[in-house]
This record gives sequence, structure tokens and C-alpha cells, in this order.
Amino acid sequence: MTNSSLEIRELSKSYGSKPILSKLSFAIPSDDFAVICGKPGNGKSVLVRLIMGLEEADSGKVLVRGEDVTNSEPGSRNIGYIPQTFALVPHFSVQKNIEYPLELLNASKEEKAEAVERVAELLKITDLLAKKPEQLSGGQKQRVAIARGLAKPTDVYLLDDPLVGLDFKLRERLIDDLRVSQEKLGVTFLYVTSDSLEALQLAKTVLVLANGTIVQQGPLADVYDNPTNISTLDTLGFPEANLISGEVKNSVFESSTFSIKTNIKGYSGPAVAGIRPESVLLGKSPDAVVLKAQVTLMENLGSEIVSYLKVPGTMLKLVVSRTDNEAIKALNSNELSIFMKLPSIKIFNKQSGQWVGNGVSLV
Amino acid sequence: MSRSLNFKPSNDRATKITLTFACWTTAILFFLPIAWIIATALKPKNTVLDIPPKVLFVPTLQNLIDALSFSNTLSYFINSIIYSSIAVLLAILVSFLAAYSFSRFKPAGTDFLMFLLLSTRFVPAAAFVIPFFQLFNILKLKDSFLGLIIFYTMFSIPFSVWILKGFIDGVSTKFDETGLVYGAKRPHIMFKLVLPQVRSGLVAAFVFNIIFVWNEFLFNFQLGGLKTYGIPVGLFTSITKGGQVDWSFVASIGTLYVLPLALVIYFFQRYLLVGLTFGTVRGEV
Repeated sequence: MTNSSLEIRELSKSYGSKPILSKLSFAIPSDDFAVICGKPGNGKSVLVRLIMGLEEADSGKVLVRGEDVTNSEPGSRNIGYIPQTFALVPHFSVQKNIEYPLELLNASKEEKAEAVERVAELLKITDLLAKKPEQLSGGQKQRVAIARGLAKPTDVYLLDDPLVGLDFKLRERLIDDLRVSQEKLGVTFLYVTSDSLEALQLAKTVLVLANGTIVQQGPLADVYDNPTNISTLDTLGFPEANLISGEVKNSVFESSTFSIKTNIKGYSGPAVAGIRPESVLLGKSPDAVVLKAQVTLMENLGSEIVSYLKVPGTMLKLVVSRTDNEAIKALNSNELSIFMKLPSIKIFNKQSGQWVGNGVSLV
Repeated sequence: MSRSLNFKPSNDRATKITLTFACWTTAILFFLPIAWIIATALKPKNTVLDIPPKVLFVPTLQNLIDALSFSNTLSYFINSIIYSSIAVLLAILVSFLAAYSFSRFKPAGTDFLMFLLLSTRFVPAAAFVIPFFQLFNILKLKDSFLGLIIFYTMFSIPFSVWILKGFIDGVSTKFDETGLVYGAKRPHIMFKLVLPQVRSGLVAAFVFNIIFVWNEFLFNFQLGGLKTYGIPVGLFTSITKGGQVDWSFVASIGTLYVLPLALVIYFFQRYLLVGLTFGTVRGEV
């Protein structure tokens, strides 16, 4: 027995000889806002379809509220669903679209009106109720699609990358709306996305999907700070993490960029060092890897600047605040020094992707 | 030597007028036989065969009234309306169900099955006449509305399936899936979510098939009978009265015969384009 709202046990799915998901397992506790984050092509859509019952798994189980629904019809799983595409019925008004899940449950007129009012207020679309979908903007359509999903009276909702393709400002507003909605309703949200920023902004619990399985799951800060798999480091975070290939021998990580002593025990062989861009700092520091660098490109993101630096053997990304005048001045010079604190250098087994240790001292 | 091609429409006023004139002349030339039939129907009987033909005359409705009151004319009309409309509506219903299945469930060999479906229309109609005549005699369906409706439904289905499949393919399966996860059953999804979105296709299929069935002569003549003859057969069997062709009668029946179809085509002509392209330009409607 479990108190999970949603539990997946060793779910596998292949198309022909191509495995998409292999023995994927996770559990989402009640009232959680969980985000599954994975790069495109990693099987997110297939996972959503299996959870919703739109496709059959080759093996494994889907449990909703502790009940095995693997072989149940999609409609009997009692999951609120917000699809990636709006799929608003064009010949229904906004109100009728939102009522639709309740209509299929044979809800009374009063129940429908109450639900529509509740979600319309929550998503600030009360003035759109009489309109047809074709009269709405992209953002309004997405709000209506979210409202329709939330109108279904249930406690588990699956949101399939619902903000994809929307402009930045709109996404920011909808992200706020989603967070508020989940907290006010006190329900479980499972949000699936390929956008690591969305994952970082929304998740209480994050699950990293890579190579057809969940490689890491946990509270957002824990997963972000302590990646146990290189895919976590690579998938979660913006800008993407710096990855440097090398070799581990006798607990020493050697690469053409730097060599450091690590706390790795029992592993020798090809390895990858991962460093988040915010852990690459300007200047020099004792007990840190210090490198000479040249700036090749600077991207202005508004409040931050992402710099691409040429260092021996590779390129590194670094993030500085736009208000940090000293940093900007340094970046504009011909050559600069950067440093990386040793514990922030994570070492992963190149083959399995598993974390094997951190940097501890200079060679 | 280089040559440049300029496909830009000309803004020259003279060119525009010439082109417009050419278009209208061509259209009028094509419409001339129809205009001739209508004019003959409205001419006084004794002026129909005048040489040179009278272009200006006082129109009369007497020929039309005579034609309608002649023997079985009215029943031919009613028969045509009964079997055409029922058969075409039935064909569209069956075709919608088939097209939905082909579009959504994609049974093995869908492309080949779709080809087979349309291949029935490759065979000349005359090749089917004898087998159907024998079959209808055995099944006692000859000269019955049921028989004609079954036949015309069957003949209308292949093209309708092709048209409707194109339209249904254009409706995202996300609608079906969203319906399914909210607990809708397939018939609900088909008729409440998908069907209203392929309305243009339904009208296109209706227009195409009604043109075919309304005009069909051969099978109505062979498989029908005195009880079920439609207008084309009625026109053929009544063409000679008293040993000679009554042109006023022929023109009157012709006018009445063309009128319903002309109205259907006039009001739904934009759907003919989407029908001809199997729904690929449905956005134009």
C-alpha cells in the first residue's frame, strides 16, 4: 500500500526494436508539484500517453491513488489532463470547453457553473467565457485549456508541456498561475517539460528523465546541487553545464584542461567533469582550479550575461550579473583568469553517467 | 541568351478588360446550351422551331405547367428526390464511420484498402449492369426504392470515404485523446467532437454524390421500374409524344430537372473545390 498519488513501476515501452522507456519507476506523493524534465526525444510524450492510458505499456504498472490502472480505460483513471496542444473544441464556446469534462461526468448545471466560475477566476478568464476558441490569442487558449483540465474534479493532474511555444512573458505569467492553482487546490500536479527553466521555476520535486528512465528524483534544490547522474547536470540548469572529458586514475581526474585529486573510490577509467556555469568565477583563488581564458562570445540575457570562454582544451560557459561592473570590465579584457572551486567540480563515469566523486585538492 | 519570365499579374487596365471579356465570353459559350433549353421551355410552343430562331419573345409558363401535369412527370421528380437524398445521406453516414476508422485506427493496408475502395469506380458502369440486374431479380429488389437506395448508397460510398478521410486526417487526434481521457466514448468523440469539424467535407461529399445520383440514368433504367423511375429515365421515355419529339416538353422537363441541381451547385460551389482536392484545401471554405 502507498500514499502516493501516482506511482509508476518498472514501465517499459519499445517501438519495434527501439526501446523508448526501460524499467522506469517513480512515485509522486500527494499534493506535490512534481516536474519531469527531459531533453526532447527522451520519451516524455510516450510516458504521458502510458500514464493516461492512451497507449499500452510492454510491461510495468501504473498506479493512481494506490490502485493499479495499467489496463483501465483512459477515462476511468480519473486524472485531470492538460495537453501540449490546446485541443479546444472549435465549435464549443470557452464556457462549454471548460465544462466539457464535467458534462461527461453528467454533472448538474449548478456543479458545472460552480466549477467554471472557480477555474475561470483562478486563471483570470471570466470575461472570455462567451467567446469561441478562434477569437482567443495563444495565451488565452492555453489558459482555457488549463482551466478545462482543472475543472475536472479530481486530485491528480497531468500537464503535458502546456507552455511550449508561448512567448516568454506569457509563460512567466502562466507559471505563476500554475503555482498558485496547485497550492490553492491542494492537489497533485505532474508537469512534463523539456524546458529546464520551467522545471526550476515550478518544481517542488523534480524527476530527470534520460535514456528512457528516471535517472534522479528528489526535492529541486537537492537534485540541482547534488546531481547523481551526468544527465541531471546536463538537463537541469540554464545555461547548460560545462562538461570536460578526461580520465580517472588513482583518484586523480586528468584532462587537457586541468588535473585534480578527487574523493573517487573504486573507479578508474573514462570520466567527465561537470561544472555549472555559476560555479565558474572570475579571478583567482587558492585551493581552486585557476585557468587563463579568452572571451569568444557574450550573450546578453537582460539581467545576466553568459560568456563563452576559450580555455586550454575546451570551451567554458560563465554567468555574470549585468550590474557587476568589475566582472564586465574583466570580460572585456584580452585575457582573464577564472577559477572553479574544487567541490563544485563533479566527476561522472563516462559510460554509465553515474556520479563518482568531487574534486578535493589540486595535484 | 538569357530569358526572364514574369508571372506577375498585369495592372494594365486594357489587359484586365481583355481578360475579363475573354472569361465572360468563355463562360457564356459554355452556358449557352443551358440558356437555350431554358429559353425553349419559356417560348410559346408554335415558335420553338422557327428559323431564324426568335431571340425576343413573350415568355410563358404554359410549357412547364403542361410538362408537370403530363402523366408521371411529378412522380418521376418525387422518385428522384426520394432515392437520391436518402441514398446520399446514408452513404455519407456510412462513409463518415469508415473514414474515421481508416483515419484513426489505420488498419493494416489502409492505403491499399483505400485504393480498392475507389477502384470500383474505375470499371465502366455498363460492366456492372447485367450482374446487378440478375442480382436484383434474385433478391426481388428490382423496381423497389430499397434496391435503388442500396445501389446508389453503395456507389456513393467510395468517393465519400476518400473525401471525408482527407478531412478527418486534418482534425488533430488530440481532440479524440482529450475526449477519451475525460471519459468520452468513441461515438461521442466521432459525432460531437470530430463530425462538426468536418462539416465542409460532409457538404462536399453530399454535393458530389447528389450530382452523380441525380443524373444517373443507366442503373435507374435497368434496376428501376415504372414505380421507381427518376427524372432522367422519365425524360427518355417521354421524349416522343405522338410519334414526334415535343421539344417544348423536352426543354421544360430539362429545365425543371436542372434547376434543383443548379441551386445546390450554386450555393455549395465552394465545397466542390475542397471535394475535388479531398479536403487538402479545406481552409479555403
